[in-house]
Amino acid sequence: MGLLKDEDKKAIQGIFEQLKDPVSIVHFTQELNCDYCSETKQLLLEVADLSDKINVEMYNVQTDKEKVTEYEIDRVPALVPATVIRNEKDFGIRYYGIPAGYEFASVLEDIVDVSNHHIDLEASVLQKVQSINKPVDIWVFVTTSCPYCPRAVRTAHKFAMANDNIRGVMIEANEYPQLSMQFSVQAVPKVVINKSNSFEGAFPEPQFVDEILKAL
Amino acid sequence: MSDISFHIGKEDELTEKNYDVVVLGAGPAGLTAAIYTGRAKLKTLVVEKEAIGGEAASTDWIDNYPGFPEGVGGVDLAEKMEKQAKRFGATVLYGDIRDLDLKSQPKTMIVNGEKVTAKAVVLATGTHPKELGVPGEKELKGRGVSYCATCDAPFFKDKEIAVIGGGNSGLQESLFLLKYVKSIKIVEFLPYLTAEPILQDRILEYKNVEAFPHHRLVSINGKDKVESITVENRSTNEKFDMKVEGVFVYVGLEPNTDFLKDQVKLNDWGYIEVTPNMETNIAGVFAAGDVRDTLVRQVATAVGDGAHAAVIANKFIEDLEE
Repeated sequence: MGLLKDEDKKAIQGIFEQLKDPVSIVHFTQELNCDYCSETKQLLLEVADLSDKINVEMYNVQTDKEKVTEYEIDRVPALVPATVIRNEKDFGIRYYGIPAGYEFASVLEDIVDVSNHHIDLEASVLQKVQSINKPVDIWVFVTTSCPYCPRAVRTAHKFAMANDNIRGVMIEANEYPQLSMQFSVQAVPKVVINKSNSFEGAFPEPQFVDEILKAL
Repeated sequence: MSDISFHIGKEDELTEKNYDVVVLGAGPAGLTAAIYTGRAKLKTLVVEKEAIGGEAASTDWIDNYPGFPEGVGGVDLAEKMEKQAKRFGATVLYGDIRDLDLKSQPKTMIVNGEKVTAKAVVLATGTHPKELGVPGEKELKGRGVSYCATCDAPFFKDKEIAVIGGGNSGLQESLFLLKYVKSIKIVEFLPYLTAEPILQDRILEYKNVEAFPHHRLVSINGKDKVESITVENRSTNEKFDMKVEGVFVYVGLEPNTDFLKDQVKLNDWGYIEVTPNMETNIAGVFAAGDVRDTLVRQVATAVGDGAHAAVIANKFIEDLEE
């Protein structure tokens, strides 16, 4: 039984009419000890089916060790299910956990932006983001039913597209309770920068980049 | 996650710069205004800072909005209103507003870094409940933490709940909640309840209501829903848990008008003053919904305000063009 309803698929196909160049969804999964691995895998395959410009590469974290290293999947202790959205380049766009609920819209928007090589940031914010010359891991803790969360995830992903030093990572808090506890996540969205500085709430893009600059 | 669902949306982008009407806020008031101005063939932009649907969307279920005999999900209602506004040509955008100048004609502002002009502006930025900022409060909003008793009391039938705030709102809403809940624990920070004596007398007559003045709410606890709260007795510094399934927070409302202070006239509590036709003191600037000076703040009243403001805004624009 499909995860996406027929009317959902139609709506997504409408959105995918905007796709220009090919997009790859690189997905890391495992067979056991993973609550949403099989649903996430199924979801991404269903999404890829809706456009011939999207292809999926599927890897197993236990057996495809070189790929895990190549994409530095273990940089986030969450590990699986992990999803990368890229074109000929890996921008550092990551999802850990099932991108269901509101976060599904983030996936669709990321796919459109990556396909169009389009960084949707205003000029002054883009300039600040591109000035960052140190590595930055932006972790955004979310829950799938949080309507404010996709804004924070999308901002982190746009920043990742704009600067090779930046990784934008969505972490679905409910699936990784220990990691969430480690970073005292009790309200979402919660943004953690380089595993240290953090703030809660979906800040507008100008404030978001200022928080990053503060943390560096 | 008990069932997996998928939200499909695509943000609009700002392609035009000059509008007939800019609506600030995509809650029920703002989206209704956009439906009306859109149908009047006015070029309309709606700018939303947080989430489409405003306060209504943070509610799980709305049972008192007319036209939905079984009730409607807050988010679902918001999405329908947005879809309707877009159907009539409104651009609905996430963004922030800077350098807002309402006194000029046209009105000007920076939206996501771009200069935008508007012949008329509808301010529908709503309010937000004052939060206490305790752990668990945001996470469990809509899952046991509520800021609206008239909206949510039926969902707590026969349950044990806590009401945070012993002022008029907390006690008045407690009277309403008593029709549904099993028991209420009222937690008040000050050494005494601040509600009018007549309300205090009424509420404390009930055997299933217990007041805890001079107590501080430390945290709201629970994994997927509220399971308990931790409070601290401020006289003894002793911390203890109360096993409750619901927490109603009544520590005040704040209008989202900080950015408007030097522009439109606000009343003493920060709400926008309007005429019976939703006009502010600035020509071509209207206010609708929770953000305006009113005694009743519901989706049904916000929708009425939005329609009203839109029709008057349309007339204002027609008069401009004569």
